[in-house]
Amino acid sequence: MAPKLHTATAPVAEALRRAQVLTSFLASRPVARARTGQTPHRVIHRQNGAALRYFPPSGARVRPPLFICMPLINTWTIFDLVPGRSVVEALVQAGVPVYLLDWGRPTTADREVTLQDLVDGVLPRALDRALRHARQHHGSQTLDALGYCVGGTFLAISLARQPGPVRRIALLAAPIDFHASGRLSRWARPDRFPLDDLVDGLGNFPRDLMRASFQALRPTGQIAKYKTLWDRAADPEFRKLWAAIEHWNADNVDFPGEAYRSYVRGCYFDNALMKGGWTLAGRAVDLKKGALSALAIAAEQDHICPSVAAFGLKQAWGGPVRTTTLRGGHVGVCLGQALPRTILSWLDEARP
Amino acid sequence: MADTGPDFQRLGDDLYRHWESAMSTWWDQVLESDDVLRATGQNLSAMASARKSYEEGVDQGLKRLHLPTRQDLIQVTRIATLLEERLLQLEDRLLRMDDGVTQLQEHIVVLERETVQARIEAAEARIELREGLAKITARLDALEPASAPKKRGQRRAPARSGTKARSASKARAATAAEE
Repeated sequence: MAPKLHTATAPVAEALRRAQVLTSFLASRPVARARTGQTPHRVIHRQNGAALRYFPPSGARVRPPLFICMPLINTWTIFDLVPGRSVVEALVQAGVPVYLLDWGRPTTADREVTLQDLVDGVLPRALDRALRHARQHHGSQTLDALGYCVGGTFLAISLARQPGPVRRIALLAAPIDFHASGRLSRWARPDRFPLDDLVDGLGNFPRDLMRASFQALRPTGQIAKYKTLWDRAADPEFRKLWAAIEHWNADNVDFPGEAYRSYVRGCYFDNALMKGGWTLAGRAVDLKKGALSALAIAAEQDHICPSVAAFGLKQAWGGPVRTTTLRGGHVGVCLGQALPRTILSWLDEARP
Repeated sequence: MADTGPDFQRLGDDLYRHWESAMSTWWDQVLESDDVLRATGQNLSAMASARKSYEEGVDQGLKRLHLPTRQDLIQVTRIATLLEERLLQLEDRLLRMDDGVTQLQEHIVVLERETVQARIEAAEARIELREGLAKITARLDALEPASAPKKRGQRRAPARSGTKARSASKARAATAAEE
């Protein structure tokens, strides 16, 4: 017996309604029009395209200042995507003065920028300027530092080489044991990945290739994101967030060529943060020399930096290391409320 | 028979799940295959070499036209970056000097405060000493009628200043000692 007409047509009608909503949504070019990085801030220091962004606290209670080192391969706005889904916004509302290092957008002319320029030059200087500002405006004598993804790896390398004014560090989804970092580590092997040819031929490692690599980690993810949009088409807040994520996803930046050569050779080819024996500008890169107290945060469904890769810090780092895992993927972990809560409780631990 | 039609939503979800699972398995095999990865690496290498040759050709063309090449631009930018680094190193030094001056100023303020405090304490000690002396003098003055009875007709001295009184007391004390 055939189903009654109204019960058979209802899902079709619903599907048509969704299609209409999504058609008008996508036709309005939401990804291109998405606005990210809206939390009020100002740039207090610049060096070769990199910028130190200061977000003043807005809460009544002022907490210890936090320095955030962002990754070099995407823009910093993943930490300030949209109001209500912004790590930085949540922190400043809770009274945390935030200093965020944005590496900028390297151009063709930056191909000779080296890894030591970044970890021995730009990063320590940004820390110094952040501390000076924090001392003057908030009476702080030290900083707590958080590094995300490659930003966390760079922060660990830099602080192991020169401790600076940092009291403790937290590394979020930051790979340390690179040979445990899943598919990426299997791709980036000296016999498969033509590192020198790419850097010599292309200069910087291009953002399009970077984006393609990340998409190839989960090829079905490109379809899955539209499936999710279809499922939640009726939620305007979700549509806004989806557009902002897509906007950020499409906004990779080039990785300076010489810095990329050292990074891939040291971290992926040799896994030197775990094994040792890596020197930069004549000085050893030895995480065992890092004496600060550290917190390694991993994301449960992270396919770029699995928890094993992030928790390699426990073996590699010289100081005491605690670990914690949050729900979400490599990017999703930055969008929930759990991350700001974890950071705030970590900051409050150190209050005298 | 139940009055329900087919659940298209569930059907769609099931289809999608099966498709995703099958595709993921297939992609996993492809993307983990040694042959595919080697071929991809060779492809990338060839692409990078082609790009390098193309850019070298463009650079040679620009050179012939006496125009700055990409390599010139990179070198100039590198020089600018190194100059900026030198400037920032100078800024670092100035800031460290400023830190030193601030520390020195704080030290001087502390020293000055300590010096002023010491001077105040010395002055207070002298005042106390004077007050003690004045008390002794007053006692001596009070003892005077008892130890040396006034002669008849001797007029009481008018109120004297501290110095005069002290010298008179001393003189009287000396006389008493001689006696």
